[in-house]
Amino acid sequence: MKSKRIKKVVREGYAKIAEQGSSCCGSVNSCCGGVDVTQDISRKIGYTEEELKNAPEGANLGLGCGNPVALASLKEGETVLDLGSGAGFDSFLAAQKVGDKGRVIGVDMTPEMIKKAKENAKKGNYRNVEFRLGEIENLPLADASVDVIISNCVINLSPDKERVFRESFRVLTLGGRLMISDIVLLRELPDYIRKSIEAYIGCLSGAIMKDKYIAMIEKAGFQNVKVINETSFPIELMANDPTAKTIMKNLRLTAEKVKGIADSVVSISIQAKR
Amino acid sequence: MDILACPIDKYHPLELHVFEEKSEIVEGIIVCPKCNRFYPIIDEIPHMLPDNLRTKEEDVKFLRKWAGQLPPKIANEGKPFNLTTN
Repeated sequence: MKSKRIKKVVREGYAKIAEQGSSCCGSVNSCCGGVDVTQDISRKIGYTEEELKNAPEGANLGLGCGNPVALASLKEGETVLDLGSGAGFDSFLAAQKVGDKGRVIGVDMTPEMIKKAKENAKKGNYRNVEFRLGEIENLPLADASVDVIISNCVINLSPDKERVFRESFRVLTLGGRLMISDIVLLRELPDYIRKSIEAYIGCLSGAIMKDKYIAMIEKAGFQNVKVINETSFPIELMANDPTAKTIMKNLRLTAEKVKGIADSVVSISIQAKR
Repeated sequence: MDILACPIDKYHPLELHVFEEKSEIVEGIIVCPKCNRFYPIIDEIPHMLPDNLRTKEEDVKFLRKWAGQLPPKIANEGKPFNLTTN
């Protein structure tokens, strides 16, 4: 699939999710457990009750694979960049950690998401969070201007991941940290999934092999690249994803096949230093 | 603004022109003095997108709205679009 087409699909897909409020209750006639389902998924991927309670209502769309380790590492006064900030859930949690002397900048290429994040910032009265409509392959930030980059289940969607890591390296200060979560593959996905455009925004088709992902980070110049956590991709997350649901339905996948796909996909947290 | 850079040539610092301000800047433009690209601020949100994610219609509409307050170099020669763009 051409890069440009992927961008369009991803932007449109997430615009829809921003408007509907959650990845659940999507385009297909699905679940509608609403907030409860989203919070349940978030709990499973490692966010604490307090974190879920403290973020403004509507900021958690249940789309991440979880980045609690990155959040735990933040120190007061740090400048944090959130790649693909969405409705702002992780940005707000980061903002609480870095305090008034620190700040968080969220970058997302979907206007509807940025708008929602901005509304959420106002609702929660966050003064140390800013959102910019921008592309993570072309970051609108100066060289060596941020201490920490966080990103939660986003980079897999990029058609040019090497560039995302190069840009991340550029904007980090010397000694700055990359603390990201993402989904990667342990085995290549079957062709019929990879070819599905819809799978792209369900995070799947854009995911690459774990070794390749790590090699890309190293190639960008990062040091001490470490996988600090690896968990099998929560099947509930996939079963809850409207795009994945459509695919399962359209391809008439059996439960067994779905499990096979789920076993090839893992969610990892990676830490690296500039 | 202090750490914002042009997403195309990474130039920093950028120029800010404010058109409407309340508790925050509501509308304005951010300009890269190096490549002469402008980035609109719409509804308090800076749009820092690369050229391929921008549309001529929206950019020109924005420029027309603030035509009287644009710096001449943006009105006439701004990138990726300006008021002389057909």
